[in-house]
Amino acid sequence: MDKRILFGGIAILVLIGLVAIFSTSNVGDRDLSANRMHGSISTTMGSSILGNPDAPITIIEFGDYQCHQCYNWFHNTKPAIFQNYVDTGKANFIFVDLAFLGSDSPKAAQASYCAEDQGKYWEYHDVLYVSQESQIDNGWASSERLKAFAFNLGLDMDLFNECLDSEKYSKRVQYNISEAKKHEVNGTPGFFIIGPDGQEQQIKGAQPYSVFKQIMDSMI
Amino acid sequence: MTATLKTVFSNFRYVVLAVVIFISMLFGLLLLSEYVFLEPYVVSHIPDGTEFGFLLIVILSILSSLVIPMNVYRISILKSSKKKMSGGIFGSFIGAAAGACSCGPVGFAIISTFGTVGATASSFVTNFEIPIRIAAIGLLVIVYYTTVRSLKIECRVNHKV
Repeated sequence: MDKRILFGGIAILVLIGLVAIFSTSNVGDRDLSANRMHGSISTTMGSSILGNPDAPITIIEFGDYQCHQCYNWFHNTKPAIFQNYVDTGKANFIFVDLAFLGSDSPKAAQASYCAEDQGKYWEYHDVLYVSQESQIDNGWASSERLKAFAFNLGLDMDLFNECLDSEKYSKRVQYNISEAKKHEVNGTPGFFIIGPDGQEQQIKGAQPYSVFKQIMDSMI
Repeated sequence: MTATLKTVFSNFRYVVLAVVIFISMLFGLLLLSEYVFLEPYVVSHIPDGTEFGFLLIVILSILSSLVIPMNVYRISILKSSKKKMSGGIFGSFIGAAAGACSCGPVGFAIISTFGTVGATASSFVTNFEIPIRIAAIGLLVIVYYTTVRSLKIECRVNHKV
């Protein structure tokens, strides 16, 4: 009788352990055990790598789709960085969400991953930063508008709507936010430039191209 | 108006006070609004589309550096009431606060500490940053004119006495 209770207890503990492992290691449909690291930063739950995956430098941006400084950086600094570093294979780029500014911010981040399911993450990302309006939570990134952006990109709307409405990527976005906080990113946009030897340089705010150039040139 | 300004700023202490207020306010606001960065290098820039915001910061700093020393003069030399002084400080404060909350560290700290309430307050201040700054400038202009007028009258009365 005692043995039965003992084995029963062990079986229940094993079951609980398996459930716990399963629930924490799967965020959306991404597996945390396949951890992608850049320097000390886990980018597993962030975007896919844009540009040459073997580039000596990786630029990680922590951003919010409702942040107007991210908008400024996207329009004023990013094009020059892409032209001179990403497009030439010297650097690659990863976007990680720090969606904190308003209630529509996490939803917009989730929507970008729903677009990723259909192979259009970067197109959707760009649409969000092009369509951003100056006011936070004024409806420009409401569920209806996020669906309209997806429609305009020609995504399968049944898949997209189901993904967005079910909050499939809620945990993925939360994971990215906690990763940002772990690395003391306390505002958006926040950047880490990871060099060939794993050296990290943090850049806080929407700084001009000259700053990025100086850091990246010193790393190559 | 020029005579009033000359009266106040003929005293070197008030010139120093005005310069200190102007520099600290301009530098602080440019830093908060991400026109100036100190790390990893000291660098400044005006991104496209943010020129008007930059201009408002300069105007706000100039007005604050005029209004506050003039009111300090009124209070310390003429022993007048502190009412207008508080108007000047309030105008400077709300002008500064308009740029402080946003996606930067101040906004992040407010939202992290106060949750939804902090996010709502931060959103409001961010959404209406330009109108709030214009209102602050309007308030400082009113305080400036009333201060100049009262300085004219008070100086005349003091002269007679």
